[in-house]
Formats: sequence, C-alpha cells, structure tokens
Amino acid sequence: MARSNTLERRIQPTVQRYGVALLSVVIALESALFLKDQKFQGVEFPIFMFAMALTAWYEGTGPAILALVLSGIAFNYYFTEPLHTLYVTPSEVPYYVMFILFAALVTWFSAVRRRVEKELLQSRDDLEKEVVERTQQASLLNLTHDTIFVRDMSDSITYWNRGALELYGWTAEQAIGKISHEILQTVFPIALDDINAELLRTGRWEGELRHKKADGSEVVVASRWSLRRDENQHPSAIMETSNDISVQKRREEEIRSLNKELARWSAELQVANKELEAFAYSVSHDLRAPLRHMVGFAELLQKKASSVLDDKSHRYMTMILESAKRMGDLIDDLLAFSRIGRVEAQMTVVNLDQLVNDVLSEARQEIEGRDITWRIGTLSACYGDRSMLRVVLVNLVFNAIKFTRQRARAEIEIGRANGGKQEVVVFVRDNGAGFDMKYVDKLFGVFQRLHHADAFEGTGIGLATVQRIIHRHGGTVRAEGIVDQGATFYFSVPTP
Amino acid sequence: MEKLGRILMVEDDPKDVELTMTALEEYNLANEVIVTRDGEEALDYLYCRGNYASRSSDNPAVMLLDLKLPKVDGLEVLRQVKSDETLRMIPVVVLTSSHEEKDVVASYKLGVNAYVVKPVDFHEFVNAIKELGVFWAVINAAPPGSVRK
Repeated sequence: MARSNTLERRIQPTVQRYGVALLSVVIALESALFLKDQKFQGVEFPIFMFAMALTAWYEGTGPAILALVLSGIAFNYYFTEPLHTLYVTPSEVPYYVMFILFAALVTWFSAVRRRVEKELLQSRDDLEKEVVERTQQASLLNLTHDTIFVRDMSDSITYWNRGALELYGWTAEQAIGKISHEILQTVFPIALDDINAELLRTGRWEGELRHKKADGSEVVVASRWSLRRDENQHPSAIMETSNDISVQKRREEEIRSLNKELARWSAELQVANKELEAFAYSVSHDLRAPLRHMVGFAELLQKKASSVLDDKSHRYMTMILESAKRMGDLIDDLLAFSRIGRVEAQMTVVNLDQLVNDVLSEARQEIEGRDITWRIGTLSACYGDRSMLRVVLVNLVFNAIKFTRQRARAEIEIGRANGGKQEVVVFVRDNGAGFDMKYVDKLFGVFQRLHHADAFEGTGIGLATVQRIIHRHGGTVRAEGIVDQGATFYFSVPTP
Repeated sequence: MEKLGRILMVEDDPKDVELTMTALEEYNLANEVIVTRDGEEALDYLYCRGNYASRSSDNPAVMLLDLKLPKVDGLEVLRQVKSDETLRMIPVVVLTSSHEEKDVVASYKLGVNAYVVKPVDFHEFVNAIKELGVFWAVINAAPPGSVRK
C-alpha cells in the first residue's frame, strides 16, 4: 500500500504533465477548427505553435515532444491538403522544420529558465537558512554575559552584542561602523602592532585592556581576540570577547597595597622587636650590675660598720638591701615577661596532667608545714609551648599557695572546666584571700597588685605573664573572686 | 688548706672585681688571681704577649670570664680559647649578669665548662664565687700545663 502510494505520487506529476500537453493540443485543435469555421485564414499554425510553446515552457521537454507530435498530426490531418489524410507534401516540410526548431528553442529557453529559477530558489533557501542560523547565533551571543563585538580588518565594528551595550553603554546602532579602538579609547598592554602580529600568526590573542565607557569611566577587561578568515584564508574579521575585571583589578590593587603596607609594618615591627631585644639585653646586663654592687657593698658596709651603727642605721641598711633586692626581682620578672613576646613558641602536644605534677613537686618545698588539701582533676593534653605553659601553671599554683597562707586549712583545686570543642579550659581554685570583682580588670595588668606588699609579696607581673602566654596560644584568661573566700583562675588553650 | 691554682679573671667592672675578690678572700681563695680588664688583655695574658710577654707560660687553673667586655667580648675570647690546642684545656667559667638564653646557648656551643649568672644578692654571689673557686681552683684536677703552688 505504502509502496503503491509512493509510486502513485511519483507517477502523478508525470501523467499530469503529459495530460497538459494532450489537453493544450486538443484545445488548440478545437480553437483552430472553430476559427476555420468562422472563415479565419492562416491562424492554425500560430495556435498550435502557441499551444506547443506553452507546453514546452511550463512542462518541459517530454510533454513538449508529445505536444509537437500531436500538433503535427492534427495540423497535417485537419489543415493541410489533402485534408483528412496524414500525407505530407514536400511544400509542407519547411513548416514542420520550423515547428520542430521553434519547439526546440522554446524548450531550451524553458530549460534554462528552470535551471536559473531552481538555482535562485536554492540560493534563496540557503540564504534563508543562513539568516536563521545567524539570527540564532546572534541571539545566543546576546544571551551571554560576555561582551562580544566583531570588527572588520579596518577595525570598523560590524557586530555588537547586548553584553557590549551593558558594559560600555554604547548601543549597537551607535557602535556599528565606528572604529573600535577609537570609540572605546583602548589602552593596550603592549604595542598594537605586536598584538596584531600575534593575532595573524596564531589566530588569537588575549590580554588585559583598558576601555572607556560611554559615560567616560574606565573599565579593565580580560579580552580574548580571535581572527576569522574567509574561504580564501584571508583575514576577514576579528571577534573580541571580554570580561569586566575592574572589580577584580581593584581588589588586586588593594591587596597589593595592603600587602605593601603589611610588609612595611612587619619590617617596622621587626626593627622594634630588635630594639626591644637590645633593650632587654642591655637591661639584663647593665641594670643588674649596679644593683649587685649596691647590695654587695651595702652588705660589706653593714658587716664592717656593724659595731658603730645604731638600731636606726641598721634598719636603714636593711631597707636599702631589701629595696635593691626587690628591684632585682622586678628586673628579672620584667625580663621574663618581655621574653615571652620575644621568644618563638615551640608548639607541641603537652600533657597537662604531667605538667601539673611537675609543678606540684616543684612547690613541695614551698608548702612544707602547711595544711593544704589538694584536689587534682584530669586535664588531658593540649597544644602549646611546654615551658611557657609551665610558667602559667607555676604562677597560678604558687599564687594559690601564697594567697591561702593565712588559712588554717587551705584548699586548692586544679581541674578542667567546660569549654569549646577546640579548647581545654583549666581552672585553679583556692579558698584564700580572694579579691574584689570590682578590680578584676586590673588583675592581669603589669605591676597591678590588689594586695598590700606587706600582706603578700610579689612584683605584680605573674598574672600579666600568664595572660601574655595564654594570649600567645590564642586562648583566654579570666578570674572570679570573693574577698576572703577565695579565687578561681581559668585559662583556655587549644586542643592538640 | 688546699693548694690553689691560679685564677684568671676577665672583668671590666672594677666594682665587680672588688666584690669578686672580697668573696674569694672570704674563703681564702684569692691567693693568686690575675685580673684582666678586657678580652684583648685576657688573650695577651693567655698567649704571653704584650704586657704579659715575660710571664711564665703556664696556663691558669681556671678562667672566670665576663661576657660584656670592651674591645674583644667574652664570647670571642671563649671561641679563641676553645679553638686553640694549647688553651682549650683551661676550664672556662662564664660569670655574667646575663640571664639571656642566647648567651647561655652560645656559650655552651663554644664549649664553656660552666655558666654562672651573678646573683644580685651578695650572699648568693659570695656563695657562687666560693663554689666556683673551690671547685675549679682546688678540687678539680687541673689540666696538664697549669701549675699549682
């Protein structure tokens, strides 16, 4: 069924074409016979000629031949002597030759016309297809966020997408036909000649360009150029695809200047650190020497003049010695304090329980004859500088021992408090002299003391040192206290 | 009384010299102390040159060396002594005000025999000097080449 259908469809136009040939000859014959009856002379030949030409023109060679043969027969039969026979007299031969020649001519013209027409149609279709394709491409190019424009080899813009409008502020109508480098006032990173040389050599180029927008502001773009060649391989157009990197550029610039500043600060800091180190070194050497001499000679004097000095003079001597010694302690503590900032931390995993044990055995001598109840919890490990953390624990534990001195029964607790996941919070609690929470802010300051020197000795640097060490570990310190009831000191250090 | 070795003290501060001498006297250790006031003089003494060209060429039993010295500093003296075949056997005790770790480390790296920080407290100072003097000048077996009286 399908097959006969296709056969039918193929045959149908052919039958139709020959039908037209037959019909046109029949109509021509009828018309000629009618005109002959009306006594019109010599019109038969042009009528047949016309019918045949019509057939040849519209239906091609095959039907034209059919029309030619039929016309010849009809003409011969009805209009040439002897009538109603197919006899051909020699005088009629030129007619037939003309007939055939004319038919051939018309057929040939028709064929040429058809071919031209076909070609025209073909190229129209091609053109339409191309237009559709181009339109689609152009609208696709319009969809992209990139800025795309095309310029010919004399830099005149031929295409301008929506991204270009959005970035530069020029519409396609304004831009097309303009010289791209002029309308955009392009600043090239290298000479344009070099860029063009590379473009011609490799077919592409990319780099950063500076353009001026329609509103006069400047924009930095990362631009990629590609060269288009025609079918003869001659360069025909250049497509520029660009992205606005102004913000990126500005950030880079900012980062660069910040970095520069940072480097400067860092250098200054280094110089300051060096000076501080030299200062500390000098203090360590030069400040202690005169102090040592003061103490030394005062003692020698005390010994030598012991018999001639009265009680008051003895007391003065003692005070001189005490003050000098205290100054020595202050210098030592200050140096230790400044060393925390100067020395590089040696970060390792530190077993805090073991560290507490070390500190407690160090304190053993200090607590001889004291009644102290110790409650030591489990602390686990942390990440830090062992010797620095030791200083922290020594300070806090010795403080607890010192400030519970007046208790008949001292209680000191060391344990782990709740804290964040990344930290170990350790507390040291005592039931000693405590402090007024009003002054908690002063507790960790250098040389800040909340007790009178005659009640509890000290330089006021211990807790400042503790705070400095913990801050260097990225941790925090805090304290809670009630006067005459005790104090609790907390510090946090990172977990391993 | 023990026999005493000769002590070479390198110290620029006369007050420190006096205090040290007093401390040594207190324990009768000051019999023979040679005081040089800077690193150059100390090296002159050790190499028997300059003012010390005519001294007998024996080495001291111990050298008490300050670090902060005019001209040639203590660490340099230490370096030269410890890199010299004939001098390296002399026990060198750095006796200084400096607690600084870098001084301690540098001294031990150069091969110092002891590093003592001068205490501010006079009693402690005297004790330190006494222990040093007794240990290095009396108890310690002096290296060959140093003469005992």
